[in-house]
Amino acid sequence: MKIIKVILQICFLHVFLILGAVLKYFIPLPIPASMFGLFVLFVALCCNVIKLEWVDQGAKWLMAELLLFFIPSAVGIINYQEIFSLQGLAIVFLIVISTMIVMGITALTAEKISAKKKGESH
Amino acid sequence: MIIVLFTIVTYLIYVLSKKFYKKLNLAIFHPLLLAPILLIALITIMHVSANEYMEGSKFLSHMLGPATVAFAVPIYKNLSIIKKYIGTIVISITTGTLVAMISTFLLSKLIHLSDDFIVSILPRSITTPIAMEVSKEIGGLPTLTTVFVIITGIVGGIVGPKVIKWLSIKTPIAKGLALGMGAHGVGTNKALEYGKQESVFSSLAMIFAALFTLVWGALITTFI
Repeated sequence: MKIIKVILQICFLHVFLILGAVLKYFIPLPIPASMFGLFVLFVALCCNVIKLEWVDQGAKWLMAELLLFFIPSAVGIINYQEIFSLQGLAIVFLIVISTMIVMGITALTAEKISAKKKGESH
Repeated sequence: MIIVLFTIVTYLIYVLSKKFYKKLNLAIFHPLLLAPILLIALITIMHVSANEYMEGSKFLSHMLGPATVAFAVPIYKNLSIIKKYIGTIVISITTGTLVAMISTFLLSKLIHLSDDFIVSILPRSITTPIAMEVSKEIGGLPTLTTVFVIITGIVGGIVGPKVIKWLSIKTPIAKGLALGMGAHGVGTNKALEYGKQESVFSSLAMIFAALFTLVWGALITTFI
């Protein structure tokens, strides 16, 4: 029964994707339809237009299996021969360094602010 | 028929890779690395081109749409946490997105990437559908961007826990924000291993990072 519920809820989530596409049509901003859909669903939840139980299970499954949806595009990597060269190695190196800097600075910023907040409340 | 076949095969290989990864817990067996390698081997043996395969498994990539919409649910559920930490989130993610784009740009120049590659790699730290959109806006190649986003995810999943350990990061908010900012969905997936709070902050970081990068992307196109 659970699997049917998940499938039905994913179908229901598509309604918001379509509403997002409609919004995108009227609001000419460089924002994808899925992001508009996220906002519509969020507002619908906040205004009690829909109940959390109607989407909860489906949303949980989609987010838990997120990696699965990246796989087809990941296979497309073989279309870019450049990646399998010395330059590809340099790009991976770039991404490793930059990601470490980004995560390090983000973590330190958040940690500093939290420590400050804690200090103030004491 | 082909669509059903490719979808089922991809799903089975994904489940298998996930099990394998859980058992060995080695970064090089990450499902996002192992599954595509197995699939590339399989389609090469079966003489199927990558484009035919991607066309056949479109249904799965399509699910990134409703999956992005689904992120409204954790935001809604954690509204009180967001309200409490909005300042920390906004400052950290503003910093994170700027550092991501600037460091990527400077390092790209350092290794002499072509202009096509530079604009395609700039939005690499955010979630795929939005990264593709930003890439299109600033004149990059969306499919190439997808590749960089995925490499970033795998790299982030591996180095993320190490960075957290080296800097001895303690608070769940700092761990979660760093993972979601640095490695989008894959980081958020990793954050689940730390705990519920971390995963919430990570999904929030992912959404805010996507939004802020859209803004930076719009600014870049306006001023350059």
